[in-house]
Amino acid sequence: MDIFTGLMSGFQVCLQPINLVFCFVGVLIGTLIGVLPGIGPTGTISILLPITFGLPPVSAIIMLAGIYYGAMYGGSTTSILVNIPGEPSSVVTCLDGYQMARQGRAGPALGISALGSFIGGTLSIIFTMFLIFPLAQAALRFGPPEYFSLIWLGMTILIYLAKGSVGKAAVVVLFGFILSSVGIDSISGVPRFAFGIPTLLDGFGFVPMTMGLFGISEVLTNLEESTDRTIFKSKIKNLLPNLQDWKRSIGPILRGTFIGYLLGILPGGGAVLSSFVSYGVEKRLSKNPEIFGKGAIEGVAGPETANNAGAGGAFIPLFALGIPPNSVIAILMGAFIIYGVTPGPTFISQHSHMFWGVIASMYVGNCMLVLLNLPLIGLWVKLLKVPYKVLMPLILLFCLIGSYSLNNNVGDVIVMIIFGVLGYIMRKFGYEEAPLIMAYILGPMMETSFRQSLIMSNGRLSIFLERPISAVTLIIAALLFISSGFSFYHKAKEKVKE
Amino acid sequence: MKKFDIIPFIFWMILSLFIIILSHKIGLGELHNPGPGLMPFYVSVLMFIISFYLLLRYLFKRVHKEKTIRGDQSLIGLWKIATVVVSLVVYALFLEKLGFLIATFILVTILFKTAGMKRWSFTLMGSILTVLIAYFLFTYLGLSFPRGILQLR
Repeated sequence: MDIFTGLMSGFQVCLQPINLVFCFVGVLIGTLIGVLPGIGPTGTISILLPITFGLPPVSAIIMLAGIYYGAMYGGSTTSILVNIPGEPSSVVTCLDGYQMARQGRAGPALGISALGSFIGGTLSIIFTMFLIFPLAQAALRFGPPEYFSLIWLGMTILIYLAKGSVGKAAVVVLFGFILSSVGIDSISGVPRFAFGIPTLLDGFGFVPMTMGLFGISEVLTNLEESTDRTIFKSKIKNLLPNLQDWKRSIGPILRGTFIGYLLGILPGGGAVLSSFVSYGVEKRLSKNPEIFGKGAIEGVAGPETANNAGAGGAFIPLFALGIPPNSVIAILMGAFIIYGVTPGPTFISQHSHMFWGVIASMYVGNCMLVLLNLPLIGLWVKLLKVPYKVLMPLILLFCLIGSYSLNNNVGDVIVMIIFGVLGYIMRKFGYEEAPLIMAYILGPMMETSFRQSLIMSNGRLSIFLERPISAVTLIIAALLFISSGFSFYHKAKEKVKE
Repeated sequence: MKKFDIIPFIFWMILSLFIIILSHKIGLGELHNPGPGLMPFYVSVLMFIISFYLLLRYLFKRVHKEKTIRGDQSLIGLWKIATVVVSLVVYALFLEKLGFLIATFILVTILFKTAGMKRWSFTLMGSILTVLIAYFLFTYLGLSFPRGILQLR
């Protein structure tokens, strides 16, 4: 099936009324949680996962993907109008977006951020369509050693790019691997670390675990932070940027698309890193870097485009290799597996209607998002006034109902609460939860490929260095690991933190 | 929280030692025929080494640059968190006995108050509305809740 025919069949799937409705619901929820600080796409997708079990898998994935890229649009609204990022990927938008709002230019800031997001999001889907086939084709030739090395590299990049200490991120990844080994071993059938508890024979439930780590722990963290918001009160006018704004923004938008897309593919990269790098690049390339932080439209256009392009790029490793590059995509991968679909090199050929349906839904979803974010901006501003004291009990109730409804079992609720508290404690001590969930999802795949490689080679560990792709991948991983000990790495990290 | 950083390092070390012993018991197998304990064994050995290194670095280098805590650490904040966690656990334990409607009404009322809702009339009205909307919405979606003492599905 060529790309054009595939895309047309995708539109046939996506334009079915039920899928169109779920696409709309997904982008609507995405925008909503993007606007509201305190809950992100990772938490929302985990919370909504149990509700999607009764839906056709295509509709469910279309909706969940819509939440992910929809949140990238909504995040900028809060950054520009309230100076609080709705999402981590919109942190840099606060710098110039809020200043623009203070200068009476909230309209163009919101407009360029929505239109830039649309351009970045749409171009990233086009890139995905063209890149995914050669990559999936190459991945078909990958054996267990290549898969093991690729996951190893992915984990190394994830640790390398972690917000906090490399050592802490590494420990979290290893802890995730240990958690993933709980339950019956898929190769030998021997129960591991279950301690005779029947619930643990199937391992920790993926859904209650993610709900706890991203939903409950987020609420607990927010409980001790001030949630006072001062919403910018001036009337928002002239949402469409003028010619001068476009002239200044088109370069950052195009550069943001490329930067965002490339970084989105990298494990641990995604939307957050994309927006930061785009801002840095724009500031460096600008003839007037001093205007950055004082309301430069380039500082809004670049990062907002980059975070959307990054969200699009993140689907490439999932669809082509079956390896999620960030925690949201890891949860989406978990959803795919629950629906009985395994993403990877054979995914496109075996589930072409699903693949093309999701791709086409992204085009439709991006169009919906522009319509939702520009004319309806007033509605989102009003929503910002919903106090956290109302939201918090609702988020927790959703988590409780969601986890209980999985198996009508209180045990799942307890697991969710335990992981919620664990996630909160981890945050307090500077450990991130995202590497844990990534390692939990990839752990079984990594272990199986490791053991299969050893069986293939009759116990020779050198098999990982004898095969070219595996060897190059491991060498890159080793170089990254070694470079994390050098001062330039620490300086760069300090700069990012600032 | 930097001064308490030592606690997780020790926790990771104890956990990894525990997993090393258990993995060994499960069976490491041979390299040409790896057993179910091999991968967890390697992973926990690596985890022990890294957490031991972090502990040594913490003890000898005393790096204090990194801020490892979010939030204001106020007692009120901690009290709120403790209230929410305990309420959630108690809710989970009594959900099946009390039933969805009663247990959720009590929980949501506590949550609204903990979140800072001041007036009791708003809190109670909000809780009743939330519980009823959640009940009808989710039963409509096909979910079933514990009947409890009211014997309602």
